[in-house]
Amino acid sequence: MPEAAVMTDPFTHAANRLKTLNKVMTTKAAIAQTPKELVWALNKAKLYRYSPVLPAEKRHPVPLLLVFALMNRPYILDLRPGHSFVEYMVKQGYDVYLLDWGAPGPEDKNLKFDDYTLEYMPRAIRKMKAISGSEEFSLLGWCIGAILTSIYSALRPDDGLRNLILLTAPLDFSNKQGLTFARWVDERYFDIDKVLGAFGNMPGEMIDYGAKALKPVENYITNYLKLWDNLDDPRVVEAWHAMNTWVTDNVPLAGGAFRQLIVDLYRNDRLMKGELEIRGQRVDLSRIRANLLTVIAEGDHITPSCQSESIMSKVSSADKELFRVAGGHIGIMAGSGASKFTWPHINGWLAARSE
Amino acid sequence: MADESANNSKPFDPMEPWRGMRDAYLDAWAKSMVEMVNTEAYAQATGAMLDSYLTVSAPFREAVEKAMLKTLEQLAMPTRADVVSIAERMTNIEMRLDDLDAKMDSIVKAIAPAKPHGEAGLAAARKAPQQARKASRTNPAARRKK
Repeated sequence: MPEAAVMTDPFTHAANRLKTLNKVMTTKAAIAQTPKELVWALNKAKLYRYSPVLPAEKRHPVPLLLVFALMNRPYILDLRPGHSFVEYMVKQGYDVYLLDWGAPGPEDKNLKFDDYTLEYMPRAIRKMKAISGSEEFSLLGWCIGAILTSIYSALRPDDGLRNLILLTAPLDFSNKQGLTFARWVDERYFDIDKVLGAFGNMPGEMIDYGAKALKPVENYITNYLKLWDNLDDPRVVEAWHAMNTWVTDNVPLAGGAFRQLIVDLYRNDRLMKGELEIRGQRVDLSRIRANLLTVIAEGDHITPSCQSESIMSKVSSADKELFRVAGGHIGIMAGSGASKFTWPHINGWLAARSE
Repeated sequence: MADESANNSKPFDPMEPWRGMRDAYLDAWAKSMVEMVNTEAYAQATGAMLDSYLTVSAPFREAVEKAMLKTLEQLAMPTRADVVSIAERMTNIEMRLDDLDAKMDSIVKAIAPAKPHGEAGLAAARKAPQQARKASRTNPAARRKK
């Protein structure tokens, strides 16, 4: 009998591992579970307000608006209970709002940064102000969201923006040698008219390929080996499942915005040079006066630190801080160290400026 | 002592050395691949592949689009262009509604300047009738006035 048990045990073990692998690879994890309500919508964009957990008198009076990138789902900010930046900030007493850009359809192929920053953002912010009752607010922009919030902050400096937080912000494109993306989308090799002519919007799968191809071995092999090695560890499996759910949930990028990203920013660095025009207005970063916190991920291969540093000398903000944290582009906010380093620092900085 | 017993209780894994070698090899491979994708030659090659794909697939895409257009017309069904046009008009209508919403908010704010705004204001407004009813119950004069 004991011999039989020894014989079957490895098979049961292997079967359980395969069952876990099958589940993780073929299902979606339960993500974005912090309670919220939809308070505004326009086209595909939606503004959510997270339900406060502290009484009004214990909350910070200045609301916080989170703006994520255009080509990924924003629920990375609210990945899973206990590992959610949104949940953490709500518990710290912030009135948290999230602007979800949604997935652009063929009818949105002409949407540009102009529309996002001067049409969608001001309307969502107006709604947030009306609900919160505060004329002042804080903005947190991450990745392309940081480009949008920077443009908005420069174009509407008198809109009540008190605090601006930029996470892994790709703003400076002058160092072409340090940017792999810049090399790939060089006009000699990448015909943007042909790509957008064929697809209208930039397909999410192509953007995903671009991001993964920066580190092909890590993204296509090591990532899966890590899962295989840890199939018996439920904590690792759960974290991997949630992250994989987010990574594989790709969103196309509106054609107009993609063209601006490539032509105006990657190829010509117009934002940092002060040459970017949004609906005829020149974007002058020196018009940003809000308190500024720039967070740089030291191991970021998508937005190297050279892209986020120079904003500090461009803005007019009297109160500004550059915070460097170990980790990658996404890891600093959704990795295992996020709740120990990045989130408490953002909370500490923002709390002192949100009264 | 405790560490020793913990080490002893850890089952021997014959694959551990192999895993170490595998990881070391993958690390080295990963570094060389990062260097490789960051070259002009790689950018040129991927650009050429994408360009070839778009060039080769263009006639097929056009043929499918034309056939689909004809089929939808024959079936008296809306084409993609029709749906896109309606979606654009819907967004414009949404924007006008949002403009009206903004104006309504500013009017409400202007005519009730003393009232606290936002969530606190809403809570106060909800409380107000209850407090009035409570006052009229406790104050007979107020009840008589009614």
